[in-house]
Amino acid sequence: MTSSIQRKLPVFVTVLLLAVAVAQLTIGYGSVRQASRALADQRLPLATKVLADLLQIPQGRARITALARNPAIVAFLRSGGRTGREPALAAMRELTSDTATTAALELRDFGGKLLLRTGRFTIADSVLVLPAKDSARYGPLIRQDSTLFLAVTAAAGDRERAGGIVQQVGRVVFNAQTPKNLTGLAGGDISLLVGNASGDPWTDFGAIVPAPPQSVLTSRVPIRYERGGEMKRAAAAPVPGTPWMVVAEMPSRLVIAPARTYLVTMAPIAALIVIVGALVAWWGSRRLTTPLADVTRAAEAIASGDLEQHVPEGRDDELGRLARSFNTMAGQVARSHHRLEAQVAQRTEALEGTNAELESFSYSVSHDLRAPLRAIHGFARILLEDHNAKLDPEAQRLLGVIDQNTRRMGQLIDDLLAFSRLGRQGITAGPVDMKELARTIADEVRSVEAEAERKGSLEIRIDPLPVARGDRALVRQVISNLLQNAVKFSRGRDNACVEVGSRPDGGQTVYFVKDNGAGFDPRYSDKLFGVFQRLHSAEQFEGTGVGLAIVKRIVQRHGGRVWAEGQVDQGATFYFTLPGEEN
Amino acid sequence: MDRNGVEILLVEDNPTDAELTLRALKQRNLANQVLVCRDGAEAVEFFENSASPIPKVVLLDLKLPKVDGLEVLRRLKGQARTKSVPVVILTSSGEEPDIHKAYELGANSYIVKPVDFEAFARAVSDVGLYWVLLNHPPQ
Repeated sequence: MTSSIQRKLPVFVTVLLLAVAVAQLTIGYGSVRQASRALADQRLPLATKVLADLLQIPQGRARITALARNPAIVAFLRSGGRTGREPALAAMRELTSDTATTAALELRDFGGKLLLRTGRFTIADSVLVLPAKDSARYGPLIRQDSTLFLAVTAAAGDRERAGGIVQQVGRVVFNAQTPKNLTGLAGGDISLLVGNASGDPWTDFGAIVPAPPQSVLTSRVPIRYERGGEMKRAAAAPVPGTPWMVVAEMPSRLVIAPARTYLVTMAPIAALIVIVGALVAWWGSRRLTTPLADVTRAAEAIASGDLEQHVPEGRDDELGRLARSFNTMAGQVARSHHRLEAQVAQRTEALEGTNAELESFSYSVSHDLRAPLRAIHGFARILLEDHNAKLDPEAQRLLGVIDQNTRRMGQLIDDLLAFSRLGRQGITAGPVDMKELARTIADEVRSVEAEAERKGSLEIRIDPLPVARGDRALVRQVISNLLQNAVKFSRGRDNACVEVGSRPDGGQTVYFVKDNGAGFDPRYSDKLFGVFQRLHSAEQFEGTGVGLAIVKRIVQRHGGRVWAEGQVDQGATFYFTLPGEEN
Repeated sequence: MDRNGVEILLVEDNPTDAELTLRALKQRNLANQVLVCRDGAEAVEFFENSASPIPKVVLLDLKLPKVDGLEVLRRLKGQARTKSVPVVILTSSGEEPDIHKAYELGANSYIVKPVDFEAFARAVSDVGLYWVLLNHPPQ
């Protein structure tokens, strides 16, 4: 496939847009995620603070403080537990019955000794917390089965003289709605938990929940951990004045939800931008390259000879100017071409005229030369035949010279005719089996030589020859003339050897006829192919000097080349090419 | 010349060629009843005259003054009275177009005059011998 701007440009733009979109999405996602996390990290401690503050509201401690100051309790303690037992117990029972959640109420002295008690719940000594001087104090959360209890202690009586501790154990009331309410309070997706700073139990006010890992309780900044098969982000804060801690917890996926939302919202938009961009690039490149393609097509058409090509000029930009310039150029090319063609036609016509004149001249000269020659020859013969008796030997010899020379002139005229005929004859090209042709001619030449009782041996070797393309009759004459020459000029040699062969040369075949005969002086090699040019005397080798001129003319008319190499007495090689050769 | 007994009509403008032809025919004793026309017009006149005898063979040159050989041939073969007369073209031209044209017009034979006198004499006498003595024209 050829390289095309029309294809490359949209691909390039699309890839670029895609890269920008991916980068934008990645960076955007990262930023939003970071921002979301930062926001969560601000919200989580805030939520813990809100809950911790909430838990410090002293409502729950008011009653127990009031009980601790109840005169019956104070009196009972002041008496050292000896008197006022019933009124004190009554005051305690009043509180127990009043508060549905109160599981137990105890009165102890400062040493921890149990003085009075209502309710069934037994409080382990370990839970006991010493209250502050004037206020109640929360103890740790206590778990029993699935119920959570909470101890509040307050100092009762007169501390200096006779005092004690009032300890209330209340059941923590779970409400399924509470966690949701707390979540709502904290701002949607944050769960709030409360528990003992030292570990279990923990609650979200809906139920007892597993304690968060110790790491979050000790960390001063929000951290991440896995709980219940889910990644959470959480922050913890102590509830001042209590042994509790508050943890605000948020599922990680909710922390980064805005980032996901960003991705889900932005990805289709980015995809849309990429698609629209690609389409625009495709359309734009088409708009840009179509005129270029038009120009290219027109240029190719002009290159292949169709000069009447034009391109649309409608546009007003650089491409429009290109189209106009191109059309101007194409017009000029067409005009010069037509002018040139007309000139060539004119010259060709003139040349053909001259050529025809020349041909007809040489044709009629050849013809008109024959008639007088025939008369000279004829009458000389008649003189010899009819008046022989009256002629002395010298006269007879002179007539013999006339006879010989007229014969020779007849041969010259015949050859000249054959040569001139070549110029007018059309060429009918077809495949020519060179090997078969050479063998036939070699056979003919051999039989002629045998008839002439040739002296010395003669070997004619025909190599395998590629098939050529040309006019069979004319190619035959080329091989025949060269072969006859080779045989003629190697006459008298003892081991005369003539070879007809070929060799490839730069994609075409060079045929050659080689002999080991008389050869020629290479200084005169350019004269070999001239009409009537001879390098040997008629006594040495017969001939009119037209054979090679005919060879040259035939090869040239086939568009080929002919040349010769040789040295005196070292043989000659004649080469020729027929460019129309078949593969 | 006895016009009634014409066996060979020789149409030849070159007197030496005519003489050589006659000599060759004479050697075979065929020259007694030969009529020579010096140009094409003379030959056409002879054929178009209904009183002229019908020769056994016409030896026709192509390059002739006034009316050329091919035209003579066309007229000769064009009229019923003379169209079956054998015509032998005896010319210097061995050119393909001439040969084609001649046969197209109905020539019976085409001979290129050799320059060599012996060959020329042999050709002429062979032609005369064949057409005058051996050939049987329609009666």
